Amino acid sequence: MTRLPPNLIIGAVLVALVAGTAALSLVWTPHDHTLLNIRGKFAPPSELHWLGTDQLGRDVFSQLMVAARNSVAVALISVCLGGVIGVALGLLASAMGGVVEDVIMRIADIGFAFPALLFAIMLAAVFGPSLMVAIIAIAFINIPVFARVTRASANQIWTREYVYAARAAGMGRVTISRDHVLPNIAAPIIVQATIEFAIAILAEAALSYLGLGAQPPAPSWGRMLSEAQTLMYLAPQLAIYPGLCIVTAVLGFSLLGDGLRDITDPRLVRQR
Amino acid sequence: MIEAAGLTVELGAGQAVREASFVIAPGDRIGIVGESGCGKTMLGLALMGMVPDAGRVSGSLTVDGTQMVGAGEATWQRLRARRVAMIFQEPMAALNPIKRVGETVMEPMMVHLGLGRDAARARALELFREVGIPDPEARLRQFPHEISGGQRQRVLIALALACDPGVLIADEPTTALDANVALRVTQLLVGLAERRTMGLVFISHDLAAVARATERVMVMYGGDIVERGATGEVLVRPRHPYTQGLLSARPSPGNMRATAGRRGRLPTIPGSVPPLAELAPGCRFSGRCPVELDVCRGERPPLRGTMICHRAEEGA
Ligand code: SF4
Repeated sequence: MTRLPPNLIIGAVLVALVAGTAALSLVWTPHDHTLLNIRGKFAPPSELHWLGTDQLGRDVFSQLMVAARNSVAVALISVCLGGVIGVALGLLASAMGGVVEDVIMRIADIGFAFPALLFAIMLAAVFGPSLMVAIIAIAFINIPVFARVTRASANQIWTREYVYAARAAGMGRVTISRDHVLPNIAAPIIVQATIEFAIAILAEAALSYLGLGAQPPAPSWGRMLSEAQTLMYLAPQLAIYPGLCIVTAVLGFSLLGDGLRDITDPRLVRQR
Repeated sequence: MIEAAGLTVELGAGQAVREASFVIAPGDRIGIVGESGCGKTMLGLALMGMVPDAGRVSGSLTVDGTQMVGAGEATWQRLRARRVAMIFQEPMAALNPIKRVGETVMEPMMVHLGLGRDAARARALELFREVGIPDPEARLRQFPHEISGGQRQRVLIALALACDPGVLIADEPTTALDANVALRVTQLLVGLAERRTMGLVFISHDLAAVARATERVMVMYGGDIVERGATGEVLVRPRHPYTQGLLSARPSPGNMRATAGRRGRLPTIPGSVPPLAELAPGCRFSGRCPVELDVCRGERPPLRGTMICHRAEEGA
């Protein structure tokens, strides 16, 4: 094995940090993140409150931890949901070819051109804003992305001789898609999923910032940011902390995705 | 039993196979020879119903009495592996790199013959023995990159035989192999065809291998079957100008000496196979043929005896 690319290592460390924090928040936070303490509001960092308290005296560090959990959960569920549907559609398009492929890919194009934000606002208007709305909206934008990546990779596999051999051995399209195509395109799909994870975290923050995602009291980096906005001059640190968290998570997943692509894409390997 | 009559494969603007007619009966061993791009692979794929999506097949092709021209993928799928099977040129590329070879061979038996895993495994083991794979138990569990080219080709032959096909189409089965290994694989194919009374279609540009493997041969050029007959007859006394060119282009002690004076260059057929769409409407070989007549380019020579050539009557 050649030396691992630095972006992979940095990305993996940042992702581990975010995921670890999210996991830890399930069992332990320094304080109850919903506990109010109006007299102790805007406390500076101290041994008791590591990053101080917010405008309602809640512990900022605890809120950030729980928000990490929410972010990761939303990203995970929505990317998996969108990924499974998108990959299935991509495999179907590639296996059937012809009209079916055209129709699926044109629909994917339309989905691609449809802004997630608009979709989320629409959903929120119908069902009321919630974390669920954010999940569905993000999953929705992920479907065409995965459908495209899957179809492009799968189309290459369908021209391989081993697929010809499998067809010659009487294997059907479904069996070939499952046994020969999917395992051989796992790498690009995983890379795409990692990159989509970063986008999903950013999207969740944006939706929550606009009030379309996590609802109070569930903490979310995006909502913390929007609440801190009005207090920018009074307590700028309240905006800076969640901002840094978003940057860390997005950067981590982006770098990890890039790094994974570098080690799995043979074309890039040869260039190095 | 495969019967083709006027079988034509159109690809884009050209005809990759033009009005091919032949019969492959159980136990027949038939060679298809010609330069690359002459349509032999496309003919093989047509017999499997695996012509690319852009291709159009017309004419008549029956497999065990069923008309297959115009048949859908589902109909073909039932036929493949059980009636007709195919092996390919690149034994490395034809095996899924991330699947154990045993799994690959077992798959069609489980799908087509409804065998359970154990029964399929037992049969795969039996097939591995039949195709001469040493230490078959261990081989079943290996990945393609762990075994040699010749062994891989044997695995592919086992895969093709998994459901006892009536006809096996071998597309350049020995081209990617060393001479020694190629010889043994050829012998294996002949032995299997004889033992199982299975039809064998041996597609190759290696005339020596075809001579060893087959009883009858069809020479293809530009999608036409230009000459056919008993292998010994055609390869020893070729009558069609293209076959004659093909044979003299082959290095042999005889023509090495004959050409020694000309800076030792081997005789070749001048020019190269033109792209499909640019082939002459008449005889495909016109333009490269050394004995061309005026009518050749525009008018398609009819089948006379064993070949299609305007010079057929003169006994070429
Ligand atoms: S038909 Fe004419 S051009 Fe074609 S092979 Fe015969 S002589 Fe040559």
